[in-house]
Amino acid sequence: MSAVWRASRAAVKRRRLQTFVIGLVVLCSTTTVLLALGLLAAASAPFDRAFDEQRGAHTVAAFDPAKASPEQLVRTARRPGVEAAAGPFGQTVLEMPDDWLWMSAGSLGVVGRADPNGPVDRIRLLEGRWATAPGEIVVNWPVDGTPGPGRLGTRLEPRGAPPLTVVGFATSMSKSAGAWVSPEQMARMHPTTAQMLYRFTNAATERELRTGLTTATAGLPAGSLGTAQSYLTLKRAFSAQADAYLPFMTLFGVLGLLVSVLIVGNVVSGAVVSGHRHIGVLKSLGFTPNQVVAVYLTMVSVPALIGCVLGVVSGNAVAGPLLRVAFSGVETGSASVGVSRWPSVVCLLGMPALVAVAALIPAARAHRLSAARAIAAGSAPRTGRGLRVQRRLGGSRLPRAVSLGMGQPLARPARSLLTMAAIVLGVTTVTLTTGLTSTMVAYGQAGKSDGAPRIDVQAGSSARGRTAPAGSDRRTERLLRSLPGADQVTVRALTKVSLGGHTQTVFANFYRGDTRALASEIVEGRWPAGAGEAAAGPAFLHQHGVSVGDRVTVRLNGKEAPVTIVGKTMEGNAQALESTWQTLFRLDPTAQAAEYTVRLAPGADARKYIAAVKAADPSLRAALLRSDNAATTTVVGFASVFTVLLTVVAALGVFNTVLLNVRERRRDLGMLKSIGMTPRQVTVMTVSSVMVPGVIGGLLGIPPGIVAHRLVVDHVGVVAFPESMKQVWHLPQLAALVVAGVTIAVLGALVPARSAARLTIAKVLHNE
Amino acid sequence: MTTDSDSSRQVVVRLEGVHKDYGDAKALDGVSLEIRAGEAVAVMGPSGCGKSTLLNMVAGLDRPTSGTVRVHGEDLGRLNETGLALFRRRHVGMIFQFFNLIDDLPALDNVALAAQLTGTSARQARRRALELLDELGIAGRKDTYPAALSGGERQRVAVARALMNRPALLLADEPTGALDSRSGEQVMDLLIDLNQIGQTLLIVTHDPHLATRCASRLIEVADGRVARESTLEPTA
Repeated sequence: MSAVWRASRAAVKRRRLQTFVIGLVVLCSTTTVLLALGLLAAASAPFDRAFDEQRGAHTVAAFDPAKASPEQLVRTARRPGVEAAAGPFGQTVLEMPDDWLWMSAGSLGVVGRADPNGPVDRIRLLEGRWATAPGEIVVNWPVDGTPGPGRLGTRLEPRGAPPLTVVGFATSMSKSAGAWVSPEQMARMHPTTAQMLYRFTNAATERELRTGLTTATAGLPAGSLGTAQSYLTLKRAFSAQADAYLPFMTLFGVLGLLVSVLIVGNVVSGAVVSGHRHIGVLKSLGFTPNQVVAVYLTMVSVPALIGCVLGVVSGNAVAGPLLRVAFSGVETGSASVGVSRWPSVVCLLGMPALVAVAALIPAARAHRLSAARAIAAGSAPRTGRGLRVQRRLGGSRLPRAVSLGMGQPLARPARSLLTMAAIVLGVTTVTLTTGLTSTMVAYGQAGKSDGAPRIDVQAGSSARGRTAPAGSDRRTERLLRSLPGADQVTVRALTKVSLGGHTQTVFANFYRGDTRALASEIVEGRWPAGAGEAAAGPAFLHQHGVSVGDRVTVRLNGKEAPVTIVGKTMEGNAQALESTWQTLFRLDPTAQAAEYTVRLAPGADARKYIAAVKAADPSLRAALLRSDNAATTTVVGFASVFTVLLTVVAALGVFNTVLLNVRERRRDLGMLKSIGMTPRQVTVMTVSSVMVPGVIGGLLGIPPGIVAHRLVVDHVGVVAFPESMKQVWHLPQLAALVVAGVTIAVLGALVPARSAARLTIAKVLHNE
Repeated sequence: MTTDSDSSRQVVVRLEGVHKDYGDAKALDGVSLEIRAGEAVAVMGPSGCGKSTLLNMVAGLDRPTSGTVRVHGEDLGRLNETGLALFRRRHVGMIFQFFNLIDDLPALDNVALAAQLTGTSARQARRRALELLDELGIAGRKDTYPAALSGGERQRVAVARALMNRPALLLADEPTGALDSRSGEQVMDLLIDLNQIGQTLLIVTHDPHLATRCASRLIEVADGRVARESTLEPTA
């Protein structure tokens, strides 16, 4: 065993508590950083992997077969910049009834392909087989898993088209179609467009994709290109939810790293300062300066390495549930969202390296220290610091134990600054979480601030094997309004529509009735009021490249309706837009509502209302809408966990500083106790020593916390918080945050303060 | 040996059958002794004989394994930590070999500290501290920090601090052990002066010269027991 290792092991044994603190801090930080990196990796890597495996189409283009012949389209595959291409495939849109394979009514884009393989968009078959004969269809299954073989053989009855039998389920990362049939079947369905699938040599940006497509289609007749879907849009949709979590995860990760560096620097500098005599002894024994530094580096590296390994284990354990939340409801296709290995590798290599660098700077003092000076340190009186302030404190009206404590940080200004920095980071974290919680709670309460219960009423459907309502949806609406307790009724119809310029179909919600609660979610523009008006959430607008004021064409049942986006909602499905019943009437005059939201009058009995609905029409299913919000719960939950972690880490920083101070001042403490300082006074003095850094840390930690909150709420892509939800700061709350700094300081100081109070005077003074 | 007049004085310290064990090691083995008001008692003995442990027992810094320690009528074994602190504050002043001054405070504030802990205002405490420093001849160094004081001056400051709360008993642990001979003599003179004005002294020392100069009674300790007690004739 080398002398360095022997001395390091002895140093670790002598500093069991500090060793534990370093290990715990590194564990917490590693967990946080691993989660942030894991989320970052999951936001793009699984999509890229699955997309590459399927040789996904960079652009899915639809052409007008009346303008561009199949031969002309085939020639586009040989144009410069085209790496590979597939097609042309016949394409049409089927109008599906409600509840087909549990999906909503509306448009279904169908493509005729002879086989799922090819140079581009190699469709992965999940169940059954490929459609080879007329009357057969393979349905795209966009979410994780498979529907199971039990659904094979289901007969689909699109409106105005012959029935089709489901022979397979498949998934395409390119989302090139909602379903596929054989080319023969497609020919019978009279394709309206021709689909081409392209992979380009340069496809990293939207601009490169546009250039690639323009070059490829340069020789085609004007106006032959109908729609073009970029894979980058799909990628954005894939990571939209994860991206929403990333800003705050990253911020917490950075905060965790900063706290770790501070704590490690603090512990090592403390160990070097308090171990001057030990350094002198080592050097006098013949340790070289480098060996002395190695002793200190090893001393912190051992717990850091253990903490890092445990942090990686716990991070990986937590990452699974986190990713499940971040990707819930996302059409992941064949992409397998899981915890990547590289974040673990980065943490395992990076964290110990970071710790070593943080330790190296203070350890360099041990390198420079001469043996004679080091051995003399401790026996000679120190030249005090901040003497004038201490003198003034001594003359103040404060109890002497308090004034003595308040003067202590001045004796070790650098250490006190490091401690204060840990408190600042702790308060920043608490501020960020407080702000996020306030914002998320306000967001969760949006539209239901009156606290009135809301009832969701679903109309039965024969497709689901349930009795359909006896009359029209107008009759159902009147019924719901007439029942005791009803205050407002919002009627909704959900359908899938095609959007001009886009290959994929989108959901459309059409409303009538009382829409005031929905209008309150508008953050830009206004809620749609008449025919041809729509609103959408930020994710939809971003992913479809439209803004408030833009006009889009909505297609349903072979009819088109121009729709103007008149408002941006605070949130919303990336694949859904909201419109009025008048717009639906233009597209499908026979459409019926499927869902009603009834807001009861304040004080009304929700259970009685639900019973009354059931009694009035057994085909209606009524249930109380829960007011909790999954996103709110997730963000607040994770932020709270991180806050607890980082607050504990910050408190541990204070703990370490106070512990060092207590050890350094053992002689003073012994003397003070010998002249009559009571244990309570010792505790008060020790706790007072961190009160001022606590207050200052509280004051300094609030502004970066407010800035961090703003950064997070401004960069959640899937939600556009209104200004009212971002302005969450009030004076009492800010005052409470200053108290958080003091609380962190006191929590950290309490244990060493109690140990100082219990210090055996005889032992301390005998050591002299 | 005590005279009639000695025996009429109040007993300040009474130890009865005091044992103190540190694991298997016996630091004190059935020590019994009395110190009366105004006495100056020196405790001597070889290293590790138990004399510092004896001092710690009397100061309430350590608790006996068995036996009774009474100081100024107070049974120290029945006091909790806070009680012991209050006892030390009221009845005991201590002087250490290495002075144990707080480096961050000037001489005046080091002395005033003992009174301030009792709740005395800073102004009153400083006034009393200045009087003591003046009596000990170092008032001119009141604003000097310990690092800039000589060894003798530091010990005078320590003595002033020990006297701050007018203790019934002044305990000195090797008070001249870290001083040069001239400073040592000055501190001895100081202790003699204090005893002459009625201050009870208990001095633990290796130095026979200090014992014979300052004490009227000598207790010799060996292997944790009182080996011999004798009366000393003043040499000064």
